[in-house]
Amino acid sequence: MKKNKITPLSVLKYLFLILMAAMFIMPLLFTLLSSVKDNREIFSNPFGLPEVFRFDNYVTAWQDANMSQYFLNSILISLATIVLLALFCSMAAFIISRFEFKASKWVMVFFLIGMMVPMHTILVPVAYIIGMFNLKNNLVVLVLLYVAFNIPFSVMVLANFMKGISKSLEEAAIIDGASYFRIYWNVALPLTVPAISTISIFNFLGAWNNVLFPLLFINDQKLKPISLGLLNFNGERGSQYGPLMAAIAITVFIPLVIYLLFQEKVEGGLAAGAVKE
Amino acid sequence: MKIRSSKAKWIAVCFVLPALIIYTVFQIIPLIGAFYFSLSDWNGLAGSPITFVGLDNFKRIFEDAGFILSLKNMAKMVILSVLFHTPIALLMAVAIQGKTKGAKFFKAVYFVPTVFPLTAVGLLWYFIFMPNGSLNTILTNIGLEKLAVPWLVENATAMNTIIFVNIWAGVGYYMVILLAGLTTISTDVYEAAAIDGATPVKRFFYITVPLLKPIIKMCILMDIIGSVKVFDLVFVMTEGGPNGLTNLPTTLMYQEAFKYDHYGVGSAIGIIILLICLAGTILSEVVTSKKEES
Repeated sequence: MKKNKITPLSVLKYLFLILMAAMFIMPLLFTLLSSVKDNREIFSNPFGLPEVFRFDNYVTAWQDANMSQYFLNSILISLATIVLLALFCSMAAFIISRFEFKASKWVMVFFLIGMMVPMHTILVPVAYIIGMFNLKNNLVVLVLLYVAFNIPFSVMVLANFMKGISKSLEEAAIIDGASYFRIYWNVALPLTVPAISTISIFNFLGAWNNVLFPLLFINDQKLKPISLGLLNFNGERGSQYGPLMAAIAITVFIPLVIYLLFQEKVEGGLAAGAVKE
Repeated sequence: MKIRSSKAKWIAVCFVLPALIIYTVFQIIPLIGAFYFSLSDWNGLAGSPITFVGLDNFKRIFEDAGFILSLKNMAKMVILSVLFHTPIALLMAVAIQGKTKGAKFFKAVYFVPTVFPLTAVGLLWYFIFMPNGSLNTILTNIGLEKLAVPWLVENATAMNTIIFVNIWAGVGYYMVILLAGLTTISTDVYEAAAIDGATPVKRFFYITVPLLKPIIKMCILMDIIGSVKVFDLVFVMTEGGPNGLTNLPTTLMYQEAFKYDHYGVGSAIGIIILLICLAGTILSEVVTSKKEES
């Protein structure tokens, strides 16, 4: 192929790439710049550099508007979600993928049904159950909802991955008289770490970004996760634009860091999940 | 491995049970319950009676102009998202692939909104599109104040503005999937075509597009299902307003059930959303199995 010759087409290509990049950077930049400005500057000079960097907007958002509490809640909820999913789904996937018995195929099909269920379809029955057992403002229930909704995808990815692992290690362990639990814990689980980290990243983002469940089932200020807390902030102090923009920046900070740290993993898992479906 | 002893069988059951119970309690039972509720009337108060009303809820929905409008909005959301997502994503993927300078940077920039919560994305754009927001400030500053309209308030622009944000927030997702597809096409094919004198544009239409067809189809079907489920963006940017003009079935379902306490009607809309997604999934199964046959 020709080497780096400037052709009209390559000019067009870079023009397109830069134009598109501007489409993505401008709104993000606007938010970031506005997060250190006061209202007057946001409106008079939306894309200029601020006269003074008002970092106290972040303090206002973090302390006065309770973003610190929402942030911590979300960390807690998301971590609990991914730990439970990693544990329960790897256990289930271990049995489904490593042992031959008639029911295993049907168990898998049963799990896969859930992939097609939109959250909105089950909201009313879930609200009914939550009302009946007085489970509103219960973070454990919120976590279990996230777990339930991510089980199909997680079990599918883990079972597919475990099928690919050589069985000789396990067979040796069986002959040595190791229990099933030991085989799972000491042999299968360590080999499945790459797949577990993939699903955990997706499950973390899923729990962090969800707003629908907490919107309906959490109304205690102290328990709200960040996506809902952000809306709350907007509802209460919708005209404090600077601190609000700071709150948006705080909300997207963790997903951004996760993406930057695990870029390959996020993109690879996405493509694999999509192609597998 | 075969399971021989009955003790081993019990252990196997114990391994599957935690996931199975959580999944059944919080997804399968509610799913069955959703069908039941869609045929019932319930006011949402714990302990109050649930009365069976047959298909009344569905009848009521399809006679409701608000629901028909939400279906039209959904169709618009799906069609415009499909028209823009995959073609733009494909152009991005093709432009990034190969020896493009700054490929990593461009890829990250296009993809990053897809990992953000849609509430944050919606709010971010809300401040750009609001009547005195930054877009209108810019338009006024460059002398185009005629074009400055209250984007999310005006009937003519509100829905399109939300659809624009949905396209913006999702295009990187499809780009990454298409990029993964592009890496499966061997460079030999392109080189052979180049030797034969095929221009890059011809190579795009006669090699890239046909070879990526299965993945392009899958992107489109995923996009259809994804666009049907959009909720957060509308909820944050307009709450379905002005006057319900930007409602989608998802936001209408939320309002009916949890604002007006029409739980039966809400559940019926939920079932319709499920059926639409199911139709999309079955369609994608048919398409992908065809792909494997050929």
